[in-house]
Amino acid sequence: MALVLQRTLALAASPLTTLTVVLLLRVWLGLRVENRAEARRTWRALWRAREGPLLLCANHLTMIDSALIAWALAPPLWYVANFSALPWNVPERTHFASTWLQQVLAYLFKCLPIVRGGSRDEVADTLARFGWLVGRGEAGLIFPEGGRSRTGRVEVENAAWGVGRIVKSVPGCRVVCVYLRGEKQAEYSDLPARGDRLHVSLSTLEPKSDHAGLRGSRDVARQIAARLAEMECAHFAKHGGQSVREIPS
Amino acid sequence: MTQSEIFDRVVKILTPYVKNQEALASVSEKTHILDELKVNSARLVDVVLEFEDAFDIEIADEDVDSVETVGNAVELIQAKLG
Repeated sequence: MALVLQRTLALAASPLTTLTVVLLLRVWLGLRVENRAEARRTWRALWRAREGPLLLCANHLTMIDSALIAWALAPPLWYVANFSALPWNVPERTHFASTWLQQVLAYLFKCLPIVRGGSRDEVADTLARFGWLVGRGEAGLIFPEGGRSRTGRVEVENAAWGVGRIVKSVPGCRVVCVYLRGEKQAEYSDLPARGDRLHVSLSTLEPKSDHAGLRGSRDVARQIAARLAEMECAHFAKHGGQSVREIPS
Repeated sequence: MTQSEIFDRVVKILTPYVKNQEALASVSEKTHILDELKVNSARLVDVVLEFEDAFDIEIADEDVDSVETVGNAVELIQAKLG
């Protein structure tokens, strides 16, 4: 019930919230998504054709990746009309929900704040609510590495098993891997560099595991992270930057 | 297997994942695995899977949520061993 109320209020505020975010990203930060049209076509087609839950899993380099990805994948007014496609998030509470203003904004931006490394029960409860939303047809966005990558690269070994647990708990869940990076983004940072040009790619995956329980969850999480690592290699091969490296099997 | 033996094996399994050697030196059943031993939360599943292998038990996803301290791990393993 509480989540339904949050969704309702977030929808009511969405014309203002989504447009404000886009203005901040485009005007204040001067960002541009180079292949925006193609990415938006792909995401809209995936959303229209979906037969079950969709979970976005992305690389994580800045503190506003959720906003960047949402903006890259669709214009604000499309989200108002297709509000379920605006992904729910599970941001770190200390960064995004420590003051009352942040808590209000997090609430209106479809966020379920979480304390990473906090009480296991609370983490599990938040992820369960997140999984429930995805199971009901709401898009969700999660970062398999948990936090921002300290190396600036996708680290498959650091894939948080909780992602695998969510995928396994939502019947028919399809994963949409999203790789987004700015041309000036050498490593992790709070914000992208002003004026940066971003590139985004999408790849779908239906991870499966022959293992049950924890091994299965870890296996699924690593499959997702491995796909992101492959996408990262393709990104650098296409746009230059850091050298290509082997993906761990 | 006694509780003490389980504790010793748990600490041995945890050791490679621990980033706070001071906390490890004074580890007790009350020591918090993530907050004090500074085990990376992403590696907790690897730790628990090593518990499974070492003690020949199966630990459900939900049971991991109750493992916050070394003592929680010992209790869980004891319960699984029966």
